[in-house]
Amino acid sequence: MAVSAPALHDALADIAGREHVLREPAALAAHAIDAMRPAAVVCPANAEEVGRVLALCAAERLAVVVRGRGSSLALGNPPRRLDVVLELSRLAAVRDYVPEDMVATVEAGVTLGALAAHLAPQRQMLALDPPNGDGRSVGGVLATNASGPLRFRYGTGRDLLLGARFVQADGALTWGGARVVKSVTGYDVPKLLVGSLGTLGVIVEATLRLHPQPPATRSWWLGFPTHDRARAFLAALLDSPLQPDRAALIDAGGLRRAGLPADPFAFLLSIGSVAEAVADQGQALERLALAHGGRSQGLAESAWTTLGQVLNGPILLRLACEPRRLLERMAGAQAMAGRLGVEAAVVAQPGHGVAWIALSGSPAPAQVVREVTQLRRALEPEGGSLVLERAPSGLKAEAEAWGDINPEILRIMKRLKSEFDPGDLLAPGRFVGRL
Amino acid sequence: MTQATGTPLGAFDATDAPSMDGLRACVHCGICLPQCPTYRVLGEEMDSPRGRVYLMRAAAENRIGLTPTMARHLDLCLGCRACETACPSGVPFGQLLEATRGQMERRGIAAPGRDRSTLRFLLDVFPHPARLGAMLHGLRMYQWSGMQALVRGFGLLAPFKKLQAMEALLPPVPAPTAPLPEVIAPRGPRRGRAGLLLGCAQRFFYPDVNADTARLLSAAGYEVVTPRSQECCGALHLHAGHVDELRAMARRLIPLFRDVDVVVANAAGCGSALKEYAHWLPDDAARLFSERVRDVSEVLAGCDLPLRPLRETVTYHDACHLAHGQRVRAEPRELLRRIPGLTLVDLPDSELCCGSAGVYNLLEPEMAGELGRRKIARIRETGARVVAAGNPGCLMQIRQHCRAQGLAVEVVHPVTLLARALEER
Amino acid sequence: MALPSHILRALEGIVGPGGLVVSPEGLLTYECDMHTFYKGAPDAVTLPQSAGQVAEIVRLCRHEHVPIVPRGSGTGLIGGAMAPVGGVMVSMTRMNRILELDWENRCATVEPGLINLWLSQATRERGYFFAPDPSSQMVSSIGGNASTNAGGPHCLKYGITVNHVLGLEVVTGAGELVRLGGKTHERPGYDLTGVMVGAEGTLGLVTSVTVRLTHVPEGVKTILASFSTIEDASETVSAIIRAGIIPAALEMLDEVVIRAIEEGIGAGYPKGAGAVLLIELDGPVAEIEAQSGPIEAICREHLALEIRVAKSEAERALLWKGRKEAAGVFGRLTPNWLLQDAVVPRSKLPAIMRELQDIGARHRVVIANVFHAGDGNLHPLICYDDRVPGELERAKQANDDLLHACLRLGGSVTGEHGVGLDKSQSLPLQFAPADLNFMARLRRVFDPDSIMNPGKLLPSHPACGEGFRPAARPLPAGTWI
Repeated sequence: MAVSAPALHDALADIAGREHVLREPAALAAHAIDAMRPAAVVCPANAEEVGRVLALCAAERLAVVVRGRGSSLALGNPPRRLDVVLELSRLAAVRDYVPEDMVATVEAGVTLGALAAHLAPQRQMLALDPPNGDGRSVGGVLATNASGPLRFRYGTGRDLLLGARFVQADGALTWGGARVVKSVTGYDVPKLLVGSLGTLGVIVEATLRLHPQPPATRSWWLGFPTHDRARAFLAALLDSPLQPDRAALIDAGGLRRAGLPADPFAFLLSIGSVAEAVADQGQALERLALAHGGRSQGLAESAWTTLGQVLNGPILLRLACEPRRLLERMAGAQAMAGRLGVEAAVVAQPGHGVAWIALSGSPAPAQVVREVTQLRRALEPEGGSLVLERAPSGLKAEAEAWGDINPEILRIMKRLKSEFDPGDLLAPGRFVGRL
Repeated sequence: MTQATGTPLGAFDATDAPSMDGLRACVHCGICLPQCPTYRVLGEEMDSPRGRVYLMRAAAENRIGLTPTMARHLDLCLGCRACETACPSGVPFGQLLEATRGQMERRGIAAPGRDRSTLRFLLDVFPHPARLGAMLHGLRMYQWSGMQALVRGFGLLAPFKKLQAMEALLPPVPAPTAPLPEVIAPRGPRRGRAGLLLGCAQRFFYPDVNADTARLLSAAGYEVVTPRSQECCGALHLHAGHVDELRAMARRLIPLFRDVDVVVANAAGCGSALKEYAHWLPDDAARLFSERVRDVSEVLAGCDLPLRPLRETVTYHDACHLAHGQRVRAEPRELLRRIPGLTLVDLPDSELCCGSAGVYNLLEPEMAGELGRRKIARIRETGARVVAAGNPGCLMQIRQHCRAQGLAVEVVHPVTLLARALEER
Repeated sequence: MALPSHILRALEGIVGPGGLVVSPEGLLTYECDMHTFYKGAPDAVTLPQSAGQVAEIVRLCRHEHVPIVPRGSGTGLIGGAMAPVGGVMVSMTRMNRILELDWENRCATVEPGLINLWLSQATRERGYFFAPDPSSQMVSSIGGNASTNAGGPHCLKYGITVNHVLGLEVVTGAGELVRLGGKTHERPGYDLTGVMVGAEGTLGLVTSVTVRLTHVPEGVKTILASFSTIEDASETVSAIIRAGIIPAALEMLDEVVIRAIEEGIGAGYPKGAGAVLLIELDGPVAEIEAQSGPIEAICREHLALEIRVAKSEAERALLWKGRKEAAGVFGRLTPNWLLQDAVVPRSKLPAIMRELQDIGARHRVVIANVFHAGDGNLHPLICYDDRVPGELERAKQANDDLLHACLRLGGSVTGEHGVGLDKSQSLPLQFAPADLNFMARLRRVFDPDSIMNPGKLLPSHPACGEGFRPAARPLPAGTWI
């Protein structure tokens, strides 16, 4: 870093105010990312201040990593450089909400919990429920493309983000997308931002598509004794006219952690609709489970929240595969945990072929690297992937957080990165291919 | 729609020019494209109805002239009018095509390599039953003497593509039969008087279809009148754009059917042309005539026929000039379903032209062959043992391609099945 | 402007003589899509039959600095599939096969020229369909749908094309043949698939599409509600959404359009109604039964003259045929038209419809309406006759006023048709220079030599820089509206 730390602190203080710049060693240590300590942490109040901060960093060639509420900072490779942590928690306003349009515009620092509270009186919701979501910022959830059981019916941030205001690497405040539910005016820039880990631009404001909260909702736990029966049930469910809104497929390890009956595999499903339809579909669901050798019982609404804690722990992997192979891959993950001598808890999104695998204990890093590499190779032919969402920094550095990307595609991604962040200042090295 | 004589229209002269309103009705939506057989095969805009109308309109607006290349794209058009069925705007494609072909023909604009001589030969032979009869006598000899077996067996016509195509289409030419009586009495209470159009191909290649038609009409209560001196209805000439020849033939035909309640056609192409006489001859006689024309299936659908069981699995192919030209689709199917024991299976793409399209399969064997192959593939998928179609051209085309593809199905006119099932007291 | 013979020879070498169109007559038929207002013939049309051929064509054109214009079925409404500065048109119509139906993964991989409806026809027997249903679906291609991110009446419930595309194989403007996305639903890295959908051929040519298949709903109920005024119908739409009910489709048609449909198609719409709503519910039977009561009540509250429920599949199909073929019956309404695709927030629907009627009166033009009221996506059809002096100008004025009104209410320039040539100059109304500049740079990442569909999607605007002009051919003056 060419500029001195005190000079940097002063410059940032000019933008955000002295009290919103952290400079004490202890505070900086607390904001380290993968054991890399920043020179400063700044918490701007609004988009305009964010723009000025980034312009400053661009001028002084300072590497920046953005932080919402800090819940997903573990995601990504250790940064190549880190000078400033840019925190957006003060961008916490709901800018615009028209219940009749079912669209809301919020600043990036608004938490999902705060947003839900804001929408509840109108009986509307943002259909995004990643684990421990209440405390997570909208910007963070979008930048990491985090998702939860509601993904089954409503998709991810990619399907819910209509428009975004973001700040480019040079500080320019930019808008992409639209404020209405249907728009094909120009490129779908919001798609580019979702899941990009802030490496192309920093989201400061998001216009989101909302959904009505269903008038009635009920949930079920459906347990199955074998992998085959679970698979057959899933196929039958997807081929049926039933429309669950939340779904999770959990293994015994995960069920135990969640305090639920620990059959080898269990589906947690909820149905939200008018009361008659909920009752009707619920009965059909129970019958279907029975017909496939499973058993069912009611599930409390609170179970969905506790589910979020199942995946806590030092190592979290995200596996993606062809939807039809999900159960097979879940079994493979359990076998891997066995070989590593650790316990695993697997929570998957059925129908989408995504599974999160939490490993407990401290497995030998070299062995983990070997297993991860092997599994990645096995997933390659079907275009699958294995991402280290959370792991000790040493492990991430060795195994590389994301896995290999097809070289031709990586070339295009590199061109995007160079175009929009020519100085390589936004989370350098954190993203795929160490972009 | 034509503007009979008036101001010239761009590159068109004033005689029987295509209607500008008709051309302008096209909004370029493209809904016709997937229904067009040549577009399905080639995937090119200029061989689609939308593209063809665009070219005709461009000529009418003087953006291009009437050129040999345009002639080629119009030649490739089957004239099946599936596009008219699909078109939400009501573009009168068939008439625009015929008017444009007429102009090109009259001014000698033809595609390079176009086989005008074959077309001319066919158009000269068909209107004259005597000539047609003589030619067929020769062909009958060709078949009976064993020459055909030799020719086909050794592929002797291989170097002569057109001739080979024609030869392949040739069905067994039946021995000459006695002509139908001029008047056949109705059975049971008299419903009316029906005039029977014998057709050209029908009367020589499928005289049994005419005989069955007469039998069925009589059983339905019609006095059947078959004017002896009737010649060709001019359908082939019309579709080729030879409008004046059509008018001449129409004027000779119309008076022969003066005293009938309904004029019955059993060949789709003929029926369609007869129904359009009023458009090309704007006089009362033609109008009154056209109003009385019906396909045999339309007539029989309104009658009770005593039918015995006939256990067959049948699939029905829509002849273009019946489905699209006359919008007759339900009646033939309804009649077949009335036969006890007969199972009618749906033919996917039943409305897609088989490639016969009048004499198209003699002039454009490649495209016709591709469409024939596709039609047989669809027929094969149904598992039916019998295919029914209401047009002699279709019967020849489908029969030929079934043989070529090794598909053993019986190919018949719907009236043949009805006659087979008819209970005669 | 003809292409030099060495380029034509090279193209012929790639697609064969049967795959190359160079006659003036042939090229003329490719000079426009459904929006015939925008005409521009290409210098040659190629009809490739494989991704490899497409890649070779792009590489050749890049090397020779020749613009490329992709074309599907040519049913677009934005002057997209035409060549304003000539070049090579790449028609995907011969690449129209279903490559794979993967039931286990519930997805299909198809060539871009496959007609949208044909995919659903192929999968319906197994209980699945392809959900995006633009009104043109009986002829538009899936590649075209992906390139414009097509919507349709049922996107209200099911989402638009991008929500159903899992992956694309494309040839970028740089000539790279790459597979983006695929059967897995999650992939690390930037969402290149998401950016490519709706890019209108400016970032690359689509050579295959992998799409999600959706399960056919258990039940469907189609309701036709007629009203004496557009006002009543608009208020009904807002009220239905406010009540938290999202139908599968919620369409509005006004009396001008109804008259044309009944004349041309005879679909059973009530002549004499000021406006009708075509409301469709689909999903579990218990759910649609419970929702239809409240919907009918809302209609009655807003003075519905008649509420009819389709009693058979045939009746339902006919009502939809009338709606979907409405574009085709435009010819009966008017010799010429301008068509808008602007969107307003749903809550502003009654306001914009009032404004629309004022605009029509002010400029003395007839404006017909058939549109997706449920998403606030308008399709005002501004009628004129180009043979009558002054009508085109008045129509353009009305078009402009309407667009500005929609944007003032917080809407968007285009909901589903796309930008093409027709709306590119309107983008600065919705985007600031920094936003346009971002998009222009995005385009250059994929199309460094600016050969892909020049003149489309982005405007001639300083913020877009030199980037989108084709390298060797300056745009003729006065090309833009």
